[in-house]
Amino acid sequence: MATLEYSFYADLDELSDNEAELDARTAEEDNIDMDMDVLETLNYDLSRVSKLLETHRYADIMHKLEQALGKDSDGGAEMGTVLEDKLIGDCNQLSADIENEIVIFHNFIRDKYRLNFPELESLVHDPIDYARVVKKIANETDLTLVDMEGFLQPATVIAVSVTALTTKGKPLPDSILRKTLDACDHAIDLDSARKKVLEFVESKMGSIAPNLSAIVGSAVAAKLMGTAGGLSALANMPACNVLVVGHNRKNRVGFSTALSQSRAGYLEQTEIFQSTPPELRMRASRLLASKSTLAARVDATRGDPSGTNGKALREEIRKNIDKWQEPPPARQPKPLHVPYSVPKKRRGGRRLRKRKERYQVTDMRKLANRMAFGTPEDSSLGDGLGIGYGMLGQAGSKLKLNAKVAKKRQFTGGSTTSGLTTSSLAFTLVQGIELCNPQALGLVSGIQSTYFSESGTFSKLKKI
Amino acid sequence: MSYLLKTLTKKEEIDRIIRDTIDEVLVLRFGRCSDDVCLQHDEILAKSVRDVSKFAKVALVDVDSEEVQVYVKYFDITLFPSTIFFFNAHHMKLDSGTADHTKWVGAFHIKQDFIDVVEAIYRGAMKGKLIVQCPVPPERIPKYQLLYKDV
Repeated sequence: MATLEYSFYADLDELSDNEAELDARTAEEDNIDMDMDVLETLNYDLSRVSKLLETHRYADIMHKLEQALGKDSDGGAEMGTVLEDKLIGDCNQLSADIENEIVIFHNFIRDKYRLNFPELESLVHDPIDYARVVKKIANETDLTLVDMEGFLQPATVIAVSVTALTTKGKPLPDSILRKTLDACDHAIDLDSARKKVLEFVESKMGSIAPNLSAIVGSAVAAKLMGTAGGLSALANMPACNVLVVGHNRKNRVGFSTALSQSRAGYLEQTEIFQSTPPELRMRASRLLASKSTLAARVDATRGDPSGTNGKALREEIRKNIDKWQEPPPARQPKPLHVPYSVPKKRRGGRRLRKRKERYQVTDMRKLANRMAFGTPEDSSLGDGLGIGYGMLGQAGSKLKLNAKVAKKRQFTGGSTTSGLTTSSLAFTLVQGIELCNPQALGLVSGIQSTYFSESGTFSKLKKI
Repeated sequence: MSYLLKTLTKKEEIDRIIRDTIDEVLVLRFGRCSDDVCLQHDEILAKSVRDVSKFAKVALVDVDSEEVQVYVKYFDITLFPSTIFFFNAHHMKLDSGTADHTKWVGAFHIKQDFIDVVEAIYRGAMKGKLIVQCPVPPERIPKYQLLYKDV
């Protein structure tokens, strides 16, 4: 509001060219800003931040806790179960609330301390550790005088000291410092209160949630319940959330985040998780989360007060993890294949075809088997007797009879020229009897030609 | 080693096994489990039973039981161990150069011999033959003398 207007005015003024003037202006501005901050913090009082420590509820519950714890140690009479249940429910709620408060405190402290040491927030993640560190360092500039060994990792201590040398922060004014330290004290008190509450709940875990504590152990069960804010709240969570409950982002300084081992929160502290080999931890944590959710649901509805369900689930988890670890079954020698000879692969191809051609029906034979339509074919003995020659030697076909065979035919034919003989040579041989066709030579008379004819009669009839 | 292989003592068992082995060579060993040649033979059989399991079945017949004597007489088994091969209830003969083609007398020398014989019988049987040539070289075929009596 006021600061905003003022900042606009300041911007306008900055437009002046006079450098010296500008420097003076900026210095002035800073001072004014600081004053504004101080004013704000005066309004932003601690008591408004944290109302919890002052509430009656808190005081009441802590008182009851003391009573219950005191009674247990004495071995005295226990409270009625209804009251006890209520107390435990309240404790859970309180524990969740305390956690939220701690976060709010952490934000407050961080906002204030940022002026002094802004890098500390990224080095130390845990809110309580942060509060402790702030308390120790206060306004100190030389960090070698500060002993942080007790509650920080050595690597973090070194990192903090080194960063402190080059920090851009300025020392805090006294009033702010006081408020910050008060806030730190409050945060640490809240944390110890929470621890007490959890201790009490843990001692009562056997009767509150027997199944859940059978699986994950009472400490972790108490923490889970505390963070979730009650058994029914825990039961309503899906298992994937239960897995992550309590997970704190502790990426240690200088270590790579590539090896972030598991996303498990409080479940990491369970005995089952710790006893599984590292390769199976992811799977085991998921299994644990799902089974513990089931157990929490059973407990929320008071389904199994004896805890047998929880024990059975624990056994199941153990069996599963063992099964993952057993070696694969031994390889047995394979039996031989059934004897089956593959049929021969028959090839084709040009060479095979050429080879086969020698044994196929030849072209000459093919032509001899064909006949022209309408014309009687030539035959070896002439006139339809003997082997027919078909289309051999006909006009247009390249194939013809063997020259020797043609010559032979010619002899029997005499002076006749058959279509098969190319040469028109006709001569009679001295040796051998040549049978010639008298009919062809025209030697027979008409009567004799009808010797065996159907319509003919006897040519010569003699009276016996 | 013969606890791995089935031992048959009754006639019905033998009948059943011959009938129920379909498309597989059935190897029946006739012998006594106390005889040392039988023991050697049984060991070879036991070692190869898994290898030939896809196309053969092996069973032992105890020759000392009374019901089995019928078969001993039928197959003319005199020397132990004697191995007889069946395929689809047909008796398969094996020509190994010895006098008796109907059975294999004696123990096999190596496991591979037995597997080869079973394979030869399988191939011949699938082709429809009733007698097959023995693929074992003659130096590894056990020799024996048959004394003929009253023939």
